[in-house]
Amino acid sequence: MVKETYLHDKHVALGAKMVDFAGWHMPVQYSSIIEEHKTVRENVGLFDVSHMGEVFVSGKDATAFLNKVVPQDIEKLAYEKAVYCQLPNKNGGLIDDLIIYKLGIEYYLVICNASRIDEDLNWLVRNKRGMNVKIDNQSHNYSLLAIQGPRAIDLVRKMGYNIPSQQSFTIKPAIIEGIKLLASRTGYTGEDGFELLVENEYSEFLWDKILEEGKEFGIKPIGLGARDTLRLEAALHLYGNDLDENTTPVEAGLSWSIPKDKTADYNGKEIIMSQIANGVSKKLVGLAMLDKNIARHGYDVYFNGEKAGHITSGCVSPSTGKNIALAYVKNIKEICTDAVVQVMIREKLHDARVVKRPFVQKRNRVK
Amino acid sequence: MDFSEDILCTKSHEYILKGDLCTVGLTDYAIDQLGDIVFLELPEVGDEFAKGDVFANIESVKAASEIYMPVSGKIAEVNTALIESPEALNEDTYENGWLVKIEPTGDEDEFADLLTYTEYKEEVE
Repeated sequence: MVKETYLHDKHVALGAKMVDFAGWHMPVQYSSIIEEHKTVRENVGLFDVSHMGEVFVSGKDATAFLNKVVPQDIEKLAYEKAVYCQLPNKNGGLIDDLIIYKLGIEYYLVICNASRIDEDLNWLVRNKRGMNVKIDNQSHNYSLLAIQGPRAIDLVRKMGYNIPSQQSFTIKPAIIEGIKLLASRTGYTGEDGFELLVENEYSEFLWDKILEEGKEFGIKPIGLGARDTLRLEAALHLYGNDLDENTTPVEAGLSWSIPKDKTADYNGKEIIMSQIANGVSKKLVGLAMLDKNIARHGYDVYFNGEKAGHITSGCVSPSTGKNIALAYVKNIKEICTDAVVQVMIREKLHDARVVKRPFVQKRNRVK
Repeated sequence: MDFSEDILCTKSHEYILKGDLCTVGLTDYAIDQLGDIVFLELPEVGDEFAKGDVFANIESVKAASEIYMPVSGKIAEVNTALIESPEALNEDTYENGWLVKIEPTGDEDEFADLLTYTEYKEEVE
């Protein structure tokens, strides 16, 4: 059965086009994807991302347990800090990508992809054998509202947000419009913003209030369509497109997120460390099409007349006017920034240039 | 101008307006479902297609879709202005947003399974 978030009826009332996404009936757009995209880049947008998973991990061995399942060093994670993590299998392939927040002593919040909650929970439970850890899936009790864009900070301040200097990638208990919630200064758009974790019963009130108070900042509700173009311009990976169980974080260009000096063992460590030291056979690159064609997920990439890889995500980039894509290609030195490759689109080859990621620079630094 | 009384539609969302040359395009419902149109690929004048053949390609921000011939025909005119600014389809898919004009080359029977606009709307909504 397709699931609905607590805000489902709000989306329908706002005239959203609804689609099935990862088992959830979600808004793909309210007005126009391009318009919604620009709203987030220029002003502020509101997203319902309550389909995402919230898993609380606690117990005497919580830190040691999480340290065993992700390449990142959870021992070094400070109180109220967040870290972008991956969940590798024994071969280094990715079961999911996650954000882990330290909420207290041996007490963590794990945010995971809606499409992967079951796989993640299964994997976490399999890995906790013999450890004193409680894995508490609270996904069904919480709504997640994302406020994203350069005016996000002005909006939450206007709504009584009471923390003067919250840094990027931190989480704090906050009060907004009298509602106690967890405010995380994170997002999936390449803009400054907040993700508000709130108990379901307050989500409708909060949604309405944000839209009302945000009017003066030009707020709009934003669907999954613009969420995808925003995250792709920021070159943020989408699980299922750009990441899967056969791709390691090193191949996915995520080595920057992996500490080289972590002493604790974790799943896939040997392979991941060996790939960092010795290199990999495929790599993720950014592409910009040189004509008006759009590269889409699954299209083949050619170099010097030979198949060299495939597109994992592609779309028009409303901020740059270009058509952009992420692709896995053979890791050879000739396929480097500024090299020209070809994408097979409807049985014809179309030129694309290898460009640096992200496709847009973050203009709106956290104040 | 309101074509909706006169057009015939396919279940795959093309419309055809009969005349000396038949005008072919996508229904307003199809355009609305696609969302922001960002790319259009049209055939050349003189190209021939059978009923049901893919004769054009359209892409919105979300996805790529194929456009099918409602009846067999030879392309007589192409709305080339749309290739440069496909987003104009979001405003108007009938008067200025037609895709091609064709000379039908098949039997009159080929029109028999097309839907009136009213039937089409019932089908899709």
